[in-house]
Amino acid sequence: MARAVAVDVLLGLAVVVVLACSAGVLLMRDAYQKVHYVTPISVVAPVLIALAVGVQSGWTISTGQSWLVVAVMVIASPFLAHATVRAIWIREQGGAERATADPAGNGERR
Amino acid sequence: MTAFVVAAIAMLAALIPLGVVLCRARVMSAVVAYEAVTSVAVLVLMLLAEAFGRPGEFELAAVLAALLLGSGLVFARFLERWR
Repeated sequence: MARAVAVDVLLGLAVVVVLACSAGVLLMRDAYQKVHYVTPISVVAPVLIALAVGVQSGWTISTGQSWLVVAVMVIASPFLAHATVRAIWIREQGGAERATADPAGNGERR
Repeated sequence: MTAFVVAAIAMLAALIPLGVVLCRARVMSAVVAYEAVTSVAVLVLMLLAEAFGRPGEFELAAVLAALLLGSGLVFARFLERWR
């Protein structure tokens, strides 16, 4: 009984995190603000789901593989967010060549 | 219907606002929404694998999580150069 309640609570929290962050992606103005709402989807929600799988199944192959997925997402998410924000910044600066030639944006060439 | 199936269905509802951003926003906002959609898909695959008692299907989620990094980096790299 307690185990089922714990699973329901963990899954409910994961669903709330995902729905709230998807609303955040919809409502924020620009891509810089939207990026902040992707990280909880790819870091917090997988941890909650893996905890739910662990509570439901105990130490099984399912639990191990779910933590493998969590590890991949936790490692990948910061790199992806950084690369995305860098791409947004370079596009705003007018392209990769200009951003490389003038990193400070003050008209001086490197 | 287990709690995992219910959670998977509820998470699919998150694809609606993300799909609106994908279709209507500017290109870099759409890339951000695409990354969020892929993350939600990974979560749904995890939930369904546990719900149906098929541990082997967690590998689909693991592979999609790895592809999330690769595809996101490809989009970011090309869109910073191409308009």
